[in-house]
Amino acid sequence: MTVQDNIPFAIRHFSPAALREALRKMHLIRLFEEGAEESYMRGLIHGTMHLSIGQEASAVATCMELTDADKITSTHRGHGHCIAKGADVGRMFAEFFGKETGYCHGRGGSMHIADVKTGNLGANGIVGGGLPIAVGAALTAKRLGRDDVTICFFGDGANNEGAFHEALNMAAIWKLPVIFVCENNKYGMSTPAAYATAVPNIADRAAAYSMPGVTVDGNDFSAVAEALHIAIARARAGDGPSLVENLTYRWRGHSKSDRNRYRTKDEIEDWMTRDPIARFRAELIAHGVLDTAEAEAVEAEAKQAVADGVDFAKASPAPGIGDVTKFVHAEVAA
Amino acid sequence: MPVEVIMPKVDMDMARGTLAIWHVAEGEAVKKGAALFDIETDKAAMEVEAPASGILRQILAQPGQVIAVGSPVAYLYAEGEAVVGLPSAAPETSEVMAVADPAPAIATAQTPAQVADEAGDLRATPVARRLAREAGLALAEVLGSGPRGRIQRADVETALARRELKATASQALQSPPILSYATQNTPPLEWSPQPGDLHVTTRKGTGTPLAMIHGFAADSTGWLALERALPRDLPLIRIDLPSHGRSPLRRLAGFADLAKAVVQVFDRVAEGPVHLLGHSLGGAVALALSDIRPRQVRTLSLLSPAGLGPEIDGAALNGIARASTADSLAPWLKRLTARPDGISHDFAKAAMLARIDPDLRAAQQELAQVLFPDGVQAFDLTAALERVTAPTLMVWGRDDRILPWKQALAAPGEVALHLLRGVGHVPHMEDPDTVAALIGRHLK
Amino acid sequence: MNAQTQITEVTSPGETREMSYAEAIRDAMTIALDRDPTVILMGEDIGTYGGAFQVTLDLIDKYGPERIMDTPISELGGAGVAVGAALTGLKPIFEFQFSDFAALAMEQIVNQAAKLRYMLGGEAAVPVVFRMPAGSGTGAAAQHSQSFEAWFGHVPGLKVVQPSTPEDAKGLLLAALADPDPVIVFEHKLLYKMKGQVPTGYYTTPIGKAAIRRTGDAVTIVASAIMVHRALEAATKLAAEGIEVEVIDLRSVRPIDRDTIIASVKKTGKLLCVYEGVRTLGVGAEISALIAESEAFDYLDAPIQRLGGAEAPIPYNPDLERAAVPQVADIETVARRLAKGEV
Ligand SMILES: Cc1ncc(C[n+]2csc(CCOP(=O)(O)OP(=O)(O)O)c2C)c(N)n1
Ligand SMILES: [Mg+2]
Repeated sequence: MTVQDNIPFAIRHFSPAALREALRKMHLIRLFEEGAEESYMRGLIHGTMHLSIGQEASAVATCMELTDADKITSTHRGHGHCIAKGADVGRMFAEFFGKETGYCHGRGGSMHIADVKTGNLGANGIVGGGLPIAVGAALTAKRLGRDDVTICFFGDGANNEGAFHEALNMAAIWKLPVIFVCENNKYGMSTPAAYATAVPNIADRAAAYSMPGVTVDGNDFSAVAEALHIAIARARAGDGPSLVENLTYRWRGHSKSDRNRYRTKDEIEDWMTRDPIARFRAELIAHGVLDTAEAEAVEAEAKQAVADGVDFAKASPAPGIGDVTKFVHAEVAA
Repeated sequence: MPVEVIMPKVDMDMARGTLAIWHVAEGEAVKKGAALFDIETDKAAMEVEAPASGILRQILAQPGQVIAVGSPVAYLYAEGEAVVGLPSAAPETSEVMAVADPAPAIATAQTPAQVADEAGDLRATPVARRLAREAGLALAEVLGSGPRGRIQRADVETALARRELKATASQALQSPPILSYATQNTPPLEWSPQPGDLHVTTRKGTGTPLAMIHGFAADSTGWLALERALPRDLPLIRIDLPSHGRSPLRRLAGFADLAKAVVQVFDRVAEGPVHLLGHSLGGAVALALSDIRPRQVRTLSLLSPAGLGPEIDGAALNGIARASTADSLAPWLKRLTARPDGISHDFAKAAMLARIDPDLRAAQQELAQVLFPDGVQAFDLTAALERVTAPTLMVWGRDDRILPWKQALAAPGEVALHLLRGVGHVPHMEDPDTVAALIGRHLK
Repeated sequence: MNAQTQITEVTSPGETREMSYAEAIRDAMTIALDRDPTVILMGEDIGTYGGAFQVTLDLIDKYGPERIMDTPISELGGAGVAVGAALTGLKPIFEFQFSDFAALAMEQIVNQAAKLRYMLGGEAAVPVVFRMPAGSGTGAAAQHSQSFEAWFGHVPGLKVVQPSTPEDAKGLLLAALADPDPVIVFEHKLLYKMKGQVPTGYYTTPIGKAAIRRTGDAVTIVASAIMVHRALEAATKLAAEGIEVEVIDLRSVRPIDRDTIIASVKKTGKLLCVYEGVRTLGVGAEISALIAESEAFDYLDAPIQRLGGAEAPIPYNPDLERAAVPQVADIETVARRLAKGEV
């Protein structure tokens, strides 16, 4: 196979079917979150939610090479990670709606969606909460002699938690198969990464724990996929952890109560012109992976999945009130 | 060897019982199986039978005392058997702790195992325990109204109020009132209870006994004033009607049922013919009894008897049956007598004390419905009166506002009729001396 | 001079103004920042953003980023920096975005702040204030809804308060700040918008003193934070049935106002503790125990009752979430049964 300079890594590396599926997932994430936002505004969803609209490439490209045996840990902004890892949007909506059919049987809500069976160890309400857990998952793989890897998603804000530093250090000293994927969207809530973090790039932190650290354009599907390909290969080879920093941007506020006082409209609009989905879709069309009609069909498919998911969730039963303490402990077999 | 009489366990979760009353006096003989004493547990009162025949001696527990299950309360000796010293101490197993008890203290050596409030599984709230402790009230005497019988503050307060009532009542008895009302827990020792379905007590004497049947919503303690006026050696039999006094509560379908219940007991108690005395409803029962057992009745004395006409003051009867406080009882009591001012508040309180049990009041209300529906006497004994062969005396107050004395005119000519002036519905209370004198003459 | 006498400083405000609970807290901080140049505010997103619950809104405009310090998302370190600053002359008010995140800072709060004075033989003081938005009812689920007052109440060296009204939110925060030792102020998220008359100017509400919010003789309810309001609502309903409930607003978990509770229970003979934290080993357990040990024991006419949070994390589903903590109807039912001698 000859390497052509102008063909992006992803196009070269993945099958057209896989790329088409990646596009579908990106659309699905976007549409899922738009659907969630609408349901929220209609009062169908309780609490709050953190949308990742604008960050879809980072989630999907990061998970391109993962199998069900591989693990991810996610964050409060985790819908994209879940869908990228293969979650069913019907069950995700059901969780949003607090239904028994939801991934967490209505107990967890938006911030705690997980599917441990397919390697999704869960979103997390605690910033930095998933970092040491990912290291633990990698420890399991290593001790049990499996070659699965763990992807640890976290935000730029999380890199200032003690847990981040402790986790990276342990992953490094024990050479564990974990990839720390920072989605640097410039802000931790309202606090600019540039203010809160002593180094210019989060990837610079890697040096302190003697692991490779790279910063990539997180809205460039292929760039992310390539960085992850290298990091995953290193992990599977037993060479230890890596840190990948995806530079991206969230279009929406931090949560539903954000008034965007800390950033300008111009900045938001500027980033919206760098839509990772449009970019990837154009790339696929440009390189002949699919044509416009096929791309539209992919989007329509995603739209249908979201509509079906909402219907499923709405029709699902709520948990029984008497079951408040169910799942606190293992149910002891009678 | 004397036979030990113990506080028996009569209930699954019973740890102790209160000795309510002795039916046999110290030194008296009792037959195996006869009622020996009553106990009250958290749940019920019940009679304990003599475990053997013998003479009751060495009574260790007085009425009101709380005794641990299994502890001896007395001993039964054979006739002529030498009385031995008491077994050294009450059983080791039971917690021997002094209870602040209003009952006179007895020497420790002779005290049966009293269980302190704190011991055992008696359920009471801390404040109930404290109030009882401060007032010297044994908790076991208090009926708990809380969940699973827990004694609460209100229960202790009720018990204390009741004790207060008793105290006032006995004071009221000491200063001779126009009417007297004895309280239940002071049966003179000369009275012995008889086994059977109704509460019957007898007093020994010479000659043919006089059996007395009280009226509606009364009980046999109402005879006290008359008893005092009657000859001391006259043997007496007091019968408490069903759902009255200390007799069990019973649902009766009508007058016939009531008469039947009394006949059954009468058959058991009466060893030979008796003189029969009845007041009001009790008069009707006595009349029925004379009709059913003519050979058992030597003479019949009727005080304002029921059953001789339709009219009756139903409101007063219902009012008495219903009243739950001395204040609501008093106005109705005043209707009983010709001199309402003779009904003092203390008298009403004492009367109310005898009716403190709400179940008893409910049963009597029900009975009133059955016997006097719509304020009318639903039974007619005029025919029975015609048939009676025993010499019959009838005493009626001219001012009777419950049953009009004119109903006496239904009596046949052989009946001796006395209409007392200035007397209402309760001649035996209002004018016991005259009534006693009339009865005394009649019995001869 | 002991802490207690120091904090009951000037208290003659006279005038009042209607404020929300959040505004009252902001008012307290404004007064503190104005009165004392050593006061600083620290926390995540407390500057431009105004805090997750907008409690510090606009303060940065007036006092600047030097005194209104946005911290990185570093709870352990941030709390520790506040402890160190307090130890050496500043008076930091450290805001946790949610009280749940104080779990990340337990080390500095429990091992350092609470113990430094003692460990150093009284030669050091840590006059730091930790503000913590707490409680459920917002649909934020298990990691954003907890009630940790019993956790911190278990630590000697800490003082723990839970204001339930705007007036107390201000007075207790100012008292906390005047206190020479670390104080944890639990603010209930559902109360931030509650309005009430608040004295203007400086005043303090004594720490360690409960407030009787309603008098009655049938049952004593000791409640804290949002539960005070639920208890009062239940009391109003019960009053229509002739049951007069006394409602005590605990206000301070540590130190606890034994005298007020004991006096009330001696009067009513019935005690119901209502609190949002998990029922087992919660604040109600302490109150129950103190009554059981006190002279009020002999006045009890029913078993002490506790209504607390379910033995579970706070669930997301709204109905489950409501079922997980005491509601008005629960309080009403238990108080009624207590009053009627049915418990
Ligand atoms: C330990 C902890 N501290 C604070 C928070 C509140 N909080 C939730 S998300 C967030 C910002 C996180 O920023 P970042 O890690 O950059 O993720 P992003 O929201 O930008 O995706 C904060 C402060 C939390 N959930 N957990
Ligand atoms: Mg961020």
